[in-house]
Amino acid sequence: MQCLDIRVIVDGKALTATVPVRLLLSDFLREQAGCGGLHVACGHGVCGACTVVLDDVPVRACLLLAVQADGAAVQTIASLPQLEGCEPERGLTPLQQSFRRYHALQCGYCTPGLLVATAKFLAGCPSPDRARILEHLNGHLCRCSGYANIIAAIEAVRA
Amino acid sequence: MNTAAPFGERARRREDGPLLTGKGVFLADLIRPGMAALRVVRSTRAHARITHIDFSAVANDPHCLGVLSAATLPEGMGRLPAIDLVEGSLPAHHDILAREVVRYVGEPVAAVIAADAYLAEDLAARVAVGYDSLPPVLNVGEGIRADAPLLYPQFASNVVHQTIQRVGDPEAAFARADLLIEETFHFQRVCASAMEPRGALATLEPGTGRSLVYSSTQIPQILRRELARLTGIPVERLRVIAPQVGGGFGVKEAVYAEEVLVLLALQRFGRPTYWLEDRQESFLASSQGREETLRVRAAVTAAGEVTAVDADCLADIGAAYLFLSNTPGAAVASLRGPYRIANFSSRARSVVTNKTPLNVYRGAGCPQTTLAMERMMDLAAQALGLDRAEIRRRNLIGPDAFPLDRGVSYPGCGRVIFDSGNFPALLESTLEAIDYHGFPARRAAAGERTLGLGLSFVVEMSGGGGAEPAGIRVLPEGRLQLLSGITPIGQGSATTLAQILAGHLGLPLTAIEVLTADTDQSPDAPGTFASRGATLGGNAACLAGDLLIREARQLAATLYELPLEDIRWQNGELIGRAGVPEPLSLAGLITKAQEHGIDALRRLQVSGRYERDAVSWTSACHAAIVDLERDTGIIRVLDYAVTHDCGRIANPLLVDGQIMGGVLQGLGQCLFEAQRFDERGVPLTQGFMDYVLPTAATAPRFILRHIETPSPLNPLGMKGAGEAGCSGAVGAIANAIADALGPQVPFLNGSGPFTPECVLAMLRRRGGHHEA
Repeated sequence: MQCLDIRVIVDGKALTATVPVRLLLSDFLREQAGCGGLHVACGHGVCGACTVVLDDVPVRACLLLAVQADGAAVQTIASLPQLEGCEPERGLTPLQQSFRRYHALQCGYCTPGLLVATAKFLAGCPSPDRARILEHLNGHLCRCSGYANIIAAIEAVRA
Repeated sequence: MNTAAPFGERARRREDGPLLTGKGVFLADLIRPGMAALRVVRSTRAHARITHIDFSAVANDPHCLGVLSAATLPEGMGRLPAIDLVEGSLPAHHDILAREVVRYVGEPVAAVIAADAYLAEDLAARVAVGYDSLPPVLNVGEGIRADAPLLYPQFASNVVHQTIQRVGDPEAAFARADLLIEETFHFQRVCASAMEPRGALATLEPGTGRSLVYSSTQIPQILRRELARLTGIPVERLRVIAPQVGGGFGVKEAVYAEEVLVLLALQRFGRPTYWLEDRQESFLASSQGREETLRVRAAVTAAGEVTAVDADCLADIGAAYLFLSNTPGAAVASLRGPYRIANFSSRARSVVTNKTPLNVYRGAGCPQTTLAMERMMDLAAQALGLDRAEIRRRNLIGPDAFPLDRGVSYPGCGRVIFDSGNFPALLESTLEAIDYHGFPARRAAAGERTLGLGLSFVVEMSGGGGAEPAGIRVLPEGRLQLLSGITPIGQGSATTLAQILAGHLGLPLTAIEVLTADTDQSPDAPGTFASRGATLGGNAACLAGDLLIREARQLAATLYELPLEDIRWQNGELIGRAGVPEPLSLAGLITKAQEHGIDALRRLQVSGRYERDAVSWTSACHAAIVDLERDTGIIRVLDYAVTHDCGRIANPLLVDGQIMGGVLQGLGQCLFEAQRFDERGVPLTQGFMDYVLPTAATAPRFILRHIETPSPLNPLGMKGAGEAGCSGAVGAIANAIADALGPQVPFLNGSGPFTPECVLAMLRRRGGHHEA
């Protein structure tokens, strides 16, 4: 199996690794970069659970190869405070607190990807109306919550 | 009973912290370097005889750490369990690995073990399996024909299970009826689609050398028992742990071949071995739900009283039993829902077909019966020119009728005896919540939009599965560990159980830690299913709490040399009538005991079993308003009202979450979801690109209300809350769509799914333009 050397900044930490060219970014981040908070649910780019921010752009880590992240900076759930631009309070950012307050998660498997994408979304669109929130959420599947509480949690933190 | 503060509060969940920060430990997070990956070689044929399995292309590959096939399984190895078999059921049990015949696409045929999942997948692709195709049976209609191909020739029939119920004199009632309605309902196959796929990992426990199996399962205790049975490993040499489970909904309520295979691989090849399901595999080889054909006849008087119902259910259970395959069909026993209907007969047959095995999926048969019964009520109202709410009002069981023996049995849970409820109040509340009386004006004002309103009642069994044990350990600082058999699957059971126990003992919520889902810690309990967690787990926790109070009082009585009756437990503390200077906390008791050389922690360790019959019946009235776009056939659910009665509510925040999540699953079944097969039995839906799940934009505006009629069957007065949201939704939405389409449109009875294509086809049939 052909391997390549890559250099990636993951949640602010510079990493170098030799990876098989076919290794998915999601597997690299989980297995070699210690990002256990990145969850793979569908593996084909539909559900959004594995969303990370790659050089400022939200992407599905299950649809990229690790070698495609060479030279890039990746932000996962561990970078949520940076993505939100807020220091966590008692370990939780405002978005995380809002999700907890509104019971916007049940099994929690889709949650980290949803939080990463939502933090990035709100950074670019701080006061979205409901329609914009729904459009944003169309990229994410949650099977537990019925979505209403997720929508409410996001509405509660918008500027 | 102490009902102090924590019970009933909208407490935020203790589970949330790790889940929100990405620190939750799911099955995939337990994989460590050096563990081997197992890949299953799956059947590519729906029905075929295996001619050969050729491992020669992988046997000498240095990456191959081992292979497994039926021929190399331990001699005499059993097959997967099914726990809902009635007398006379035919033994259509699922093999661990297919022996001679494969019966569905995705059936495990062999397994390959390699150093990582990529290599294992490479190797699995190179295992050559030869097949001689056999004609497949792809639906129940084909399956019951006399000349149908047989999945199990030794049975001489594809019907493997049958339950019959009868109440009163249905024939006489049909003979006297003013109106007869007969409809056949089709329910498509759906996939529970928990966000976390299944997975299992087997390793050796350091120190003890015991086999340690982790699985994303709802039933770790049952899994341990069955793994012991299948592998011959003594049960005490096995430990099973369910880590964070990323959604269950019934799909993780079975013992699966892969859980056995990782353990066999560990035993045989000596490497800790894991298997992680990919999404395609979940569509092929995780249990599916709902598929059945249900024919219903109703006898109705001119005044709108339904006097008899007869139902005939053919459940398509797929290729073999998977734990509770027959339950969904047999649940036709509770078809009458909240309506009196004095006469009833039903037959439920389970038919094996060459498709993935069926199992319970949230609601376990109740969504089908609810939809059918509620459509029949609307059709009767329409035929008689009655208002839809009024016909329900005329048939509802009254609030004073409980306990009410319905004269039928529910598979595995004994006689159906409704314990409590107030159905008329549920109806009136929901009518108000959805503004039923204002709806005609709203519809008229909708202009080009076509609105429809649908009502649906659900009465659902909850809390089955048998007795529930629980234990309590006291820590030196006086905090408690509740040892519960309720496995968390996202429902927040640790929060709920802590609230219940804290309320019962008068302790703060933070004083209670909940330990579950580890066969070393948690008692040998059935697990999480059938909406049983809060009711059974909660009452068992209180029972253990009572034992703790007794032990603590006895210990204090000994220490202070007082008669037992002079020591009371109040608000989390011991109070003595005399001689005990001030209220004594558990921590104080422990310190005092230590001064006397007594091991208080051991004395205060208690366990008990909640043995009372706890099957209680949750009820709800749902109403949906849908918007039909006639040009495109797109249906949107705008408003959704539920009045729900699950007895006393431990945490309204979490119960509402259960209801909304359940409604969206019912909405998905009605509007989007269908597992489809081609004419050879190959699944056409193998991922979320083609299996459409509800998204946030499809969520309605919710109006949730509660009526609490406590169940008299358990001290807490609780009834289950996990499923009635899902079970009621399909009926309300289907009725709302039929209402939007209008009586002239021949409605496709069942749960659709009512995709735009389906809706447009119904509209065209009305116009006389039949489709080719």
